[in-house]
Amino acid sequence: MNRNVGFALGLVIVAVILQSALFGEGRIQPFDASPNLVLVVVVATVRYLEPEPALLVGFTAGLLMDLLGGSPLGLWAMAMTVVAFLTLRVRDRADDGPFTVAVGVFALSVAAHTLFGVLGTLFGQRFFADPGVLRLMIVPGLYNVVLAAGVVPLATRVMRARDARRWVA
Amino acid sequence: MLPSRRFERSTGLFVLLLVTSFLVTTFDVRADGAGVGDTLREGAQALFAPVQRLADSLTRPIVGFIDGVSNIAGLREENDRLAERVRGLEQEQAEVLSLQTQLDELRKINDLAPPDELDAVTARIFSNGVSDLDHIRWIDRGTDDGILVGQAVIDEAGLIGRVDFVADDSARIRLVSDPRLGVGVRDLATNEVGWVEGQGGDFLTLKMFNAVEPVHEGDLLVTDGTRFPPGITVGTVRETASAEVGFQLISSVVPAVNLSEADFVKVIVGWSPLDATQPVDEEQPARGNPLIIEQ
Repeated sequence: MNRNVGFALGLVIVAVILQSALFGEGRIQPFDASPNLVLVVVVATVRYLEPEPALLVGFTAGLLMDLLGGSPLGLWAMAMTVVAFLTLRVRDRADDGPFTVAVGVFALSVAAHTLFGVLGTLFGQRFFADPGVLRLMIVPGLYNVVLAAGVVPLATRVMRARDARRWVA
Repeated sequence: MLPSRRFERSTGLFVLLLVTSFLVTTFDVRADGAGVGDTLREGAQALFAPVQRLADSLTRPIVGFIDGVSNIAGLREENDRLAERVRGLEQEQAEVLSLQTQLDELRKINDLAPPDELDAVTARIFSNGVSDLDHIRWIDRGTDDGILVGQAVIDEAGLIGRVDFVADDSARIRLVSDPRLGVGVRDLATNEVGWVEGQGGDFLTLKMFNAVEPVHEGDLLVTDGTRFPPGITVGTVRETASAEVGFQLISSVVPAVNLSEADFVKVIVGWSPLDATQPVDEEQPARGNPLIIEQ
């Protein structure tokens, strides 16, 4: 399990670096919104972790986003911890099929961005000064579903393979 | 279904992490750019900046390709717009030549030295924020190159933003589009002063508290020299507006800089807001525009 946690954390670090290099203003940002790769990776990996490490992976991912982004420390950490917690609560439903996973990723994305916006506003960040803020809550969710189509099966395959190797050993 | 004891433990950890995050945010906001939060950011930058630069150099061609493909449809429209703009500029150029002659004469009359060239450090943007709600850029210059918090960042078109965090070899710029950044501006057409704030989107908000004259669409706004060096182009007024009695004037502004296309930037390291209030010494004039200092 520890190796899986390490693998999940490694994926999260790669995702944070790719997020800041690939997406956002001046990079890939169709219709002025960009996906949240880190969130997709958190959702894809914490499904295969024990609850406590899963929450810590979510928290660490958010903290890294805060450290490399412009928001106060702890805002994304809060949002991503909630994402990890909600993913744990509904992970059994993921076996229902890809449509359920897509709906789940979309709902978690919207919830995370909304939570981040509300918390940020409470801490004086004025996120809601942007007239297009509603679009920034919803459109990334749609992009995340597209990203999840690639990331979730990949993470599933790798994490299951690692689990299988562990049981054989 | 998880065993109840396990679930209770994870719920406890969940609450603990939320409380920790909440406290961390509170301390970071209260510290306002100082304290443990910034130490952690410096550490993270020292660790991740080299990797981010590598990722930036690897992904730049991909981003450029995708950007190019997505822009093909808009190129014809852009071409027409630019042709129209060139015609307008040719007209303006003739007017500017006339004004330049007048300015030269005025300079001779007032015996004013031209403003000193401000020292600047050229830097390249290597990273964005991590979400659409982040209006920041990371540049590859830091304290080692003389960058300090509060310095203005410009490109050839005008003001990009302000340095709000510095590590040894990188710095974070808060863009003019960020709702938390305010810029004191002067309307060149009326000489009225006001305040421009980001909205997070494509346009900025202009507020003038004591304006007598209205602002007109197309008026050029430049920094007034309070927190940024004077005379830097900020943008143009988007809508004509006037102040009603007892109310402030509010309008919107098109930023001079296309923030999504900014790549190389200049950080002005040779100017401090304190310079704006220093008396002009004839032997050693203060940096900045002497016209503004005298006000």
